[in-house]
Amino acid sequence: MSTKTIRCPQCKNKVTVQGNPGEKTNIVCPNCKAKGVFTFPAPIPEKDKTNYTDAIEVIDLSKSFNGFTAVNKVTFSVHKGEIFGFLGPNGAGKTTTIKSILDLIHSDSGTIKINGINIHENKKDAKKNVGYLPERVAFYDNLTALQNMYFYAEMKNALKSECKKLLEDMGLSDVINKRVGKFSKGMVQRLGMAQAMIGSPPILILDEPSSGLDPRGSVLIRNKIKQLQKNGATIFLSSHILSEVQEICDRVAIINKGDIVAKDSVSNLRQKLNLKPKLTLELEEMTDKIKKVVHEIPGIVSVQIINKIINITCNSRTKSKVIIAIEKAGGNIINLHTSDPSLEQVFMKFTE
Amino acid sequence: MMVNNVYSITKKEILDNIRNKWIIILTIIFTVLTLLASYAGSVTSSGWQDLSSTINSMILLVQYLISIIALILGYSAIIGEIEIGSMNSLLALPTTRNEILLGKFFGLGTVLSISIFIGFGLAGIIIGLNVGKVNYGEYLFFIAASILMGLVFLSIGFFISTLFNKRSTAMGAAIFTWVFFAIIWLFIIAALVIVSNPSIMDVNASQPPQSINIETPEIFYISEFFNPISSYSELVNLNVGNIDTVSYEDMISGPPDYINSVNMFISMCVWLFSFQFLAFWRFNKKDI
Repeated sequence: MSTKTIRCPQCKNKVTVQGNPGEKTNIVCPNCKAKGVFTFPAPIPEKDKTNYTDAIEVIDLSKSFNGFTAVNKVTFSVHKGEIFGFLGPNGAGKTTTIKSILDLIHSDSGTIKINGINIHENKKDAKKNVGYLPERVAFYDNLTALQNMYFYAEMKNALKSECKKLLEDMGLSDVINKRVGKFSKGMVQRLGMAQAMIGSPPILILDEPSSGLDPRGSVLIRNKIKQLQKNGATIFLSSHILSEVQEICDRVAIINKGDIVAKDSVSNLRQKLNLKPKLTLELEEMTDKIKKVVHEIPGIVSVQIINKIINITCNSRTKSKVIIAIEKAGGNIINLHTSDPSLEQVFMKFTE
Repeated sequence: MMVNNVYSITKKEILDNIRNKWIIILTIIFTVLTLLASYAGSVTSSGWQDLSSTINSMILLVQYLISIIALILGYSAIIGEIEIGSMNSLLALPTTRNEILLGKFFGLGTVLSISIFIGFGLAGIIIGLNVGKVNYGEYLFFIAASILMGLVFLSIGFFISTLFNKRSTAMGAAIFTWVFFAIIWLFIIAALVIVSNPSIMDVNASQPPQSINIETPEIFYISEFFNPISSYSELVNLNVGNIDTVSYEDMISGPPDYINSVNMFISMCVWLFSFQFLAFWRFNKKDI
């Protein structure tokens, strides 16, 4: 039984009412005699009392295979609504981590929560939140694309009617009644993506989503991922295509030899590593004076001169000084290209 | 346990096996073999034989054929999906491993049962139309017992499928299992019988077996509970008349009381459920 004090909407007089959570109570204002109904707020479910801002939480996850430690006390979290890149060299523990999140393999220790639900305690409810595209996508070869989709829709308790639309979205509308056994690798990959999206799960775990796809297919998947994020989904993405990760991910984690060695946004990781932008200039003519001037500019990290091309690594602020100095020395710049440190550089540094 | 999930997986398995023509192939095999056994299975008479005689001709063939087919269906059920990769997607769905295993067992069990029922049933009807003496009750019992044996070996196949990490190893184990129960077992039992009753060797060498009265070692009867093929064979022997199989019963005094239909049925059910339980246990422990 709880007590609430509310104001009468007509005379603004304070009225005190008593009742249980979720209960409706008829009230009469003692001042103006206005009648109304007050509903006591429903009890807050236990799991919602904590404000879960993380879609996926991995805490101290460890897993060994025959004495070999595949992942060692891995801890990270994926915030709701973000695209999170999960990177690492082959054999670093990416797939073991992903499979542990989905309970495909049994971790030795650690806690995994999906939307606040512990996967080890409530597998079914946790998995209801997830759509998964595995690294090695496979379907039932004897069934058609649509039959496969219907099967997964049934298992996810989703509407079968959405299957055709998803196949169309992935560019498979012409082959919905074709046996999957006759599909190319790229088509199977697209079907895998469509399967992962059945039931509009709030979290998508995508392991190498662009694997085996032609450039058009890669762009299609990338755009789809961006669209899913706009619609509020959280994307956990593992990929070896670092340019793709750099383009679409809000944050990344890098795993190496079973340990998380970095986790942050790409720009923050660049800053942490003190990586500098690269400036490439092509001159009409190279002179000794220009060569000398370039080396004397303060803030330059490295200079490489090959014929008429100068590659300079420097601070962002120094870039304009370089251009001015070369022009003052009589140089005529005919081509100029600047590039920020790539995720590839970050990756290489962290996985050395 | 979600019935819907089990039903969906069962349905998918049946659909998959209809499309890969397993059901049709098995049905044709069972029909053709039954018809051949009935028409050309007897050395003492020619032409169509009645159903009891057909069962008599078929029982040895059926017990070996159904067991190997069930093992083939079962051994790849889990490891096959793990190896091709579809198990990853399946296990990521809001379902449990028990539901997956049960759904697949029901699906493949249905495929096997339908094939046996239609295959033997069709042949039974053809035979029934060609001979006067027909006991459909016995024949239906024979079909039901054959289905039960098929399910027992399917269950063993499922356990094998969860036990190994490679499909090829599981296949090897399935073949060995069949060889053990179908061939090696006979040698083991023969050896045990001879060792436990040395007079058999002397008697066999000098006189026809029907003219003597020897005591069958207890171990022979007990052993029938430890091989589902023996349990099946005994179950059919006890319930289908006019059976004249190559067995030790003809040269010995009657079997003990515990060799009866109920115990043989229970024995087969124990085989079925214990291996199904082992498969559940193993699959739940397995890393995919």
